[in-house]
Amino acid sequence: MADDRAEKILAGLGGAENVIEVEGCITRLRCELEDMSLLDEAALKAAGAMGVVRMGAGVQVIVGPEADNIASDIEDLL
Amino acid sequence: MSLEILSPVSGKATAMTEVPDPVFAQAMVGPGIAVLPSGGRQDAVAPVDGTVVTLHPHAFVVATEDGRGVLVHLGIDTVKQKGEGFTLHVVKGEAVRAGQPVVGWDPDAVKAAGYSPIVPVVALDAKAEVLSGLPTGGDVEAGDPIFTWDS
Repeated sequence: MADDRAEKILAGLGGAENVIEVEGCITRLRCELEDMSLLDEAALKAAGAMGVVRMGAGVQVIVGPEADNIASDIEDLL
Repeated sequence: MSLEILSPVSGKATAMTEVPDPVFAQAMVGPGIAVLPSGGRQDAVAPVDGTVVTLHPHAFVVATEDGRGVLVHLGIDTVKQKGEGFTLHVVKGEAVRAGQPVVGWDPDAVKAAGYSPIVPVVALDAKAEVLSGLPTGGDVEAGDPIFTWDS
């Protein structure tokens, strides 16, 4: 299930080539993106994100305490 | 079942809405209360009996036997400190008792590094109405009950 979620979240971030860095924190994925305009908040929420917070050049995708696992799943896909 | 949540640190009980981070202030991962720590180096203690299911230097989650998770986050954006100044007293997967030291840290050093040392204590995935006894503005000691979580 987590694998599927990682794929969907990655798609919502604009795909692997748009992701510069993903870091799992305890409640959120801290992501640095190439092009913020490719961010699809609706897709991220559909993938289970509880919130999407834009912060300057980055975005935080709030996924809860499984963030670590999801981040490593996403890293495997990059 | 009624679950009593203990304060992980000593300090001033503060409304979650005052935490300088939208994820906590807007209760995106759950409601709860924050404690603004008083003083320097101290041990953050487990808020409930359970298992340490997630453990970072700056934050941890203790899950109870019936599957309720309580998140303790030591300061805001403290992930950027890469664990510096944080001492883990337990390992991931370890069973802990409420009040047991989990992570040693120094709120004053966090503040000196430019981060807020406030400690959100979050009832993960809970609805706000199942929490009660959320006092704010008062002083609490580590290990004092700060709120009750009814399921």
